Amino acid sequence: MPATVTSITPRRTSGQGRPPQSASRRPFRDNPRLILAGIGALVAVLVAILAVANRTPRLSPDFLTEFVLYALSAADLTMLVALVFVLARNIVKLVVEGRRTRPFARFRAKLVALLLGMTLVPAVLVLAVGSELIRTSVERWFNAPMDEILTSANQIAGDYYHERQMLVSDHAKRIARALASVNLGNPDVRPLRDLLAPDVTLQRVQMVEVYRVGRASGSLPGLEPVVDVAAPALPPGYSRAAADRLAAQALAGSSDTRSIETLGSSGDLLHAAAVIRSKDGRATGVVVATDYLTGDLALRSRRMTQAFEDYNQLRVLKRPLAGVYLSFFLMVTLLILVGATWMGLYLAKRITRPVQMLAAAAREIGAGHLDQRVEPQSNDEFGSLVEAFNTMAGELATSRRNVERSTIELERKHIETEIRRRYTETILERITTGVVSVDAAGAITTINSAAARLLSLDRAIVGQPARAVFDRADLQPLGALLAGAGRAKTEPAAQDIAIPRQQQELHLAVVATALVGDSGAPEGVVLVLDDVTPLIRAQKVAAWREVARRLAHEIKNPLTPIQLCAERLRRHFAGGPPAAKDLVDECAATIVGEVESLKDLVDEFSQFARMPAPRTVPTDLGQLVAETLALYNGIFTDVGIEQRTAADVPLVRLDAEQIRRVVINLVDNAIEAMERRGQIIVETQLDAPGGVVRVIVADNGPGIPPAEREKLFLPYYSTKRRGSGLGLAIVRRIIAEHGGSIEVGDNMPRGTRFTIELPC
Amino acid sequence: MTNRLKMQPRKHEGTKRLVGLVFAVAFVSLGSVARADGQDLSVMPIARDGQVVVSFELSEGLTEDVRDAIQSGLPTTFSYELELRRSTATWFDRTIAAVTMTATVRFDNLTRRYQMSRTLDGRVEDARPTEDQDAVRRWMTRFEHVPLSTTSALEADGEYYVRVRAHTQPRNTWFFWPWGRDWVLGRAKFTFIP
Repeated sequence: MPATVTSITPRRTSGQGRPPQSASRRPFRDNPRLILAGIGALVAVLVAILAVANRTPRLSPDFLTEFVLYALSAADLTMLVALVFVLARNIVKLVVEGRRTRPFARFRAKLVALLLGMTLVPAVLVLAVGSELIRTSVERWFNAPMDEILTSANQIAGDYYHERQMLVSDHAKRIARALASVNLGNPDVRPLRDLLAPDVTLQRVQMVEVYRVGRASGSLPGLEPVVDVAAPALPPGYSRAAADRLAAQALAGSSDTRSIETLGSSGDLLHAAAVIRSKDGRATGVVVATDYLTGDLALRSRRMTQAFEDYNQLRVLKRPLAGVYLSFFLMVTLLILVGATWMGLYLAKRITRPVQMLAAAAREIGAGHLDQRVEPQSNDEFGSLVEAFNTMAGELATSRRNVERSTIELERKHIETEIRRRYTETILERITTGVVSVDAAGAITTINSAAARLLSLDRAIVGQPARAVFDRADLQPLGALLAGAGRAKTEPAAQDIAIPRQQQELHLAVVATALVGDSGAPEGVVLVLDDVTPLIRAQKVAAWREVARRLAHEIKNPLTPIQLCAERLRRHFAGGPPAAKDLVDECAATIVGEVESLKDLVDEFSQFARMPAPRTVPTDLGQLVAETLALYNGIFTDVGIEQRTAADVPLVRLDAEQIRRVVINLVDNAIEAMERRGQIIVETQLDAPGGVVRVIVADNGPGIPPAEREKLFLPYYSTKRRGSGLGLAIVRRIIAEHGGSIEVGDNMPRGTRFTIELPC
Repeated sequence: MTNRLKMQPRKHEGTKRLVGLVFAVAFVSLGSVARADGQDLSVMPIARDGQVVVSFELSEGLTEDVRDAIQSGLPTTFSYELELRRSTATWFDRTIAAVTMTATVRFDNLTRRYQMSRTLDGRVEDARPTEDQDAVRRWMTRFEHVPLSTTSALEADGEYYVRVRAHTQPRNTWFFWPWGRDWVLGRAKFTFIP
């Protein structure tokens, strides 16, 4: 499977759901260009603040209070909120990380606190001192001498204007009184002009305009111009509009009968209106007198007033003005604090984040995730450290994969070995050959079921010292063989050993082989046991058959001549003396009788030697036994024969005649053993798990000593006074040729018990 | 800052007779004022001729600071935000109509004359010069029958109130507080009976 490499990338928050940022969109703190741009923007803001601060005196009060102060206040509040938010957020984060025992949380907290403390204390001190300095300086701007000078200057300018206005107003009233008796409706205005000309000529006023009440003229409701007399010194930009408005205003009864018309750099025109009333008090017209203040005079007056107003406006706005400077100062302080906080956090993260990432990656690798990698964030020493870590992780992953491949190969081989071992164990368990292995230390490491059965050992002896196990009396020959094989180390030691087992002899062919490793060091001994008892028995039977065949052949041939010679001698001496005739008759009869006996013996030998192979057919064993036992009905009155037949015994392939002979032979032996008085039980059983049927012939006779039981089945061994001793040998041979076995044992409570097992 | 409401006595019967109402209006309370730094803003809404008009006066509006500002030649403006509103029990009160009235004065120290002007929603309503400080005070603080809304926007027997917020420019503060610390509030409730 291809390896999947997982990278550890920096996290902005502890939230896990946020998708990882791609390399092209690095966070702000990891992007030097953005950092430089941010620093540049900060410097620009500071420069702009300084520039605005330098221009503050030239700013209009409205702009100063409504825009600058508002903007600065808003900026201060925003930065204060941002600072509090950043601090609170990071304090909460530090507390949470501290509680979660996140690595480097304490270090980050200390670093941030140190930088913030280093900045906060001087910044607050500078802010406090600077604020007091600003406040004091602003207060000192406004002092009594300056106040008096500017107030006086303004007072002089104002009084001058006021006096000139009052003077013009007086002239207007005087002219109005003078015109009270003048008919303003006269089309000839020369008399009127002549009347007004001295005022202008003598420069009491610079212009006089007379209106009479009548038809509306243009913008003048109820007034129409009559005449105007103006001095030539009036500036060319003069217009009648201001005088017209003032005349209408005066006629309307307004108390405001004066106005000032500014002509820019040319100067000011001071207008005053007075209503012309007839003797009966009726308004007949309006006179507007105008005085002219030259440009220089008006300009200087304006400057004095402007200086006074500027000074007073600054005094009035000294609090907002000081507020602006304080806001500047506060903003710079907050910028420094925010910058210090951010810088502290940035440095802390810059330092701890690669280490945190390395620690996290190390934990992942420790947990077995060897494909974990750390994404390099910089090209500095931390970057080199990350590269080294990634290289190490890569080598670890490669080694891990090699080990995993080796492990898989080993597991495969182990499985193969295990299969082979189980196969070998199965073979060892299934074979009839006993196998016992002993390690170099002399402890038994293996004993298969055949060995345990042959040696009558419990398989729990595995692990016990072989010397102690084979120290048992019947197993001592094996112990000696084992010790000899261990010493020989090379050639296997073979030996036939007879072990007494249940009053019988068990013949074992034993081979002890020393196990030697590739280095030549002894690794133990393996003991192989073969039960050769049936083989020896068969060899014995074969030998006896050969003897019987030869004996029959050698003995039977001379018997007939011997019998004929004896008959011939008896016939020859039939006419002889009686004594000789009796002797010869007696001897001839004896010879003939013994020859007959010898013939019978030879026939039995021949039969034993030439017993035909069984012709097996499916046979009802119970019925066969019943028919055989029926032959004994009424013959032996003191012998009771009982048959017990299991109902589930199936048909068995056997040669009925041979099995009948077996049963007869065993029953005859029993009757003989009981001296024709006793009880015989013939029983048939089914052993389905063993796949055999059993025929048991039990009597309550005297029984057979254990030492003679093995000999029972040998030819020419008999405990009876007569008989050839071949009966049980033939029985064993018949059973063996049917593929079965026959055993003899004690019958309970007394007697002998023959058990025949036939495959079914 | 805390604004306290002060209830004024009922005057609706006389008011109805005085203005010759086309619609009958019953006032639950004629007006109320809010006090801030010694300033009172009394409000009196009246529905007449199919219109809701408001008269209000800011007493002690020309404080020493304001007078200094005016005398220094600073253009000084009193802004009044008038809102016709209806109370809502479960949500913010609903604003039915709103206008902004401003009164501005500028003193010329050379001619010693005040130039005054008034605007309604930015539109110049009136302008005149004066040399009288009392006229300036009245010009800046006393308003009569400012049209606020038509009565067609009102529901019969509905309870409404008129809120007037006043503030001065330029502001004479150390620090600009964006939530209107220097506002003077006035408020008057009424029940509209057609």
